[in-house]
Amino acid sequence: MTATARRIAVLAALGRNPVSGKARPNRDDLLALELARQLGGDLTLIHAGNPDEAALGDYFAYGASSLDLVPLADGGDVASALVTRLAGYDLILAGSRAEGGEGSGLVPYLVAETLGLPIVADVIAITLGDEATEVTQALAKGQRRRVRVTLPAVIAVYPKALVTPRYAYARRLAGRVTTYVAPAMEPVASPWHREAAKKRPVKFRAAETKSGHARMLSAIVAEARGGAVIAAGTPADKAQAILAYLRLHKLIDW
Amino acid sequence: MSEALKRINPRRPFQVTAEGLKRIVLGVAGEAGASVHVAHRDATPKPLRLRGEPTGQHLVIAHADRGALTAHAHEAIAAAALLADAATAVTVLVFGDLSEKLAPFGADRVIVAAVGDGAHFDPDRELAVAAEQVARLAPRHIVMPDSAIGDGDLGRRLAARLGVSVATHVVELAPTGVAASWRGGAEMARRDLPRMLLLDPGTTDLALPFSGAGERVEIEVPPFPDSRYRDLGSPPVDSAQLGLEDADFIVSAGNGVADVPTLLALAKTFDAAIGASRVAVDDGRFARHQQVGATGKTVSASVYMAIGISGAVQHLQGIRAVRHVIAINTDASAPIAQRADLTIVDDAQAVMEQLLEATRGRNFAPGVTP
Repeated sequence: MTATARRIAVLAALGRNPVSGKARPNRDDLLALELARQLGGDLTLIHAGNPDEAALGDYFAYGASSLDLVPLADGGDVASALVTRLAGYDLILAGSRAEGGEGSGLVPYLVAETLGLPIVADVIAITLGDEATEVTQALAKGQRRRVRVTLPAVIAVYPKALVTPRYAYARRLAGRVTTYVAPAMEPVASPWHREAAKKRPVKFRAAETKSGHARMLSAIVAEARGGAVIAAGTPADKAQAILAYLRLHKLIDW
Repeated sequence: MSEALKRINPRRPFQVTAEGLKRIVLGVAGEAGASVHVAHRDATPKPLRLRGEPTGQHLVIAHADRGALTAHAHEAIAAAALLADAATAVTVLVFGDLSEKLAPFGADRVIVAAVGDGAHFDPDRELAVAAEQVARLAPRHIVMPDSAIGDGDLGRRLAARLGVSVATHVVELAPTGVAASWRGGAEMARRDLPRMLLLDPGTTDLALPFSGAGERVEIEVPPFPDSRYRDLGSPPVDSAQLGLEDADFIVSAGNGVADVPTLLALAKTFDAAIGASRVAVDDGRFARHQQVGATGKTVSASVYMAIGISGAVQHLQGIRAVRHVIAINTDASAPIAQRADLTIVDDAQAVMEQLLEATRGRNFAPGVTP
């Protein structure tokens, strides 16, 4: 850790318990908070939304000491509201998705774009340097990638990062909230209409324009299945056939 | 009573179709029990969707992995083609090396940007290329797969850069609008078609009644100066320690494998995770967490090498998402041969030994030089 404490912001949304529907801290944002706590430094939590929400206090129990609150009406532009409080931070952490609303995962990207900062997503570990930070990204199929990114930067934390947020009631009592003035924003009507979720989404498929005869044919004739079958030759030839297949499809480096 | 029952000759004349299915054609006279092989139906090329000179564009952007796009990316192309009218072309921008044809999925024009095979992390450079193509083509809609291997990330960067209307994690789409699940799946939210769509897997049926023109263009990508990101490489991961769900290469053993040490050696050579069928697990040759199938794990590897596995339905269910299945089995008519892309009919032990012999001294783990 460098002599001057790093200023770290964690973007926090309000989550929702999937069973009871009650408000709670957002799971993904708690992971970001825990990663930020492990880095040390001067940590601030920033939330844009309803200032009277009691569940925000639970963020203190999970280790935040101060919360900057930007009042925002329901359906307001969260990213623009957050950006008003984000000047001067070295590192901005966020969860990958909110569970209480749209959950598009766009907020960290919009924040980074507005502030002109680099952003790395799916991060599971952070090492802070003087002018840059080294992060480890989780990729598909269990792979990892190390990336060096210049500071200041925005980092979105992988939803399955191996950190465990811990709850302590004493910390909940000690936290303090600073409420700022609501930014002047024109209310924008959301283009989304919400409804209760159906059983299963309908697949997008081409309109059926085939004749009755063609439909009958496609119904009785199964799709061609099975690939190449190699029955002749010695086991050595067959082993070479397997290796040739793997090489042809670039599945091994040969 | 019994004489009133109408008897059906079980040896009526039948035909064997090109797909090997037995079909009884009513009214066809012929010798009882005789089989007539129908010649393979000639695959008539599908009609082109695009008529004449296009007046507009839909753009699909995806990353290629090992020369091919994922099924998820194919769906994004098909979705863009289904959304397009007869005068709108579907252009696909592919990052990385591409060796497969995208015309069957409805791509009219394929722009291949050679920026390495997705292994190198340089989002500023890809974003610059994507933004340039969007500015040049002025697409009506930009469709991308919302996948974890870089497309979802690039899509969100592009949406933030362009400042366009966007819908992410789209689970349902139609020409009239899109739907995404909100609040962790408790609600479904709908809206009209935004300019940019990031699709979840499984939104679109890949069976199309038309095909695209599939014209291919390669573009050079200049290096991006002053990139704020530097890729420090990927530390090697021991595949044997990975969960089967995460593994990219799986060597799996069934009842036909008696010699477990040879199988383990083979898995080590290919840097593969080890799976097993239910019989091999019940025998105690493999651990329960290695079982693949309905009662075990569902895997999504690139390669699944099924050694001595006949392929019960419950097992095939677990490997539905695998891209390449290679089977080694003594029985050519085992159900696994219907699923496998390559079937070797031979004794598993002999082929395993020959494979080890042919790859002696090599290790295909990344970062290990032969």
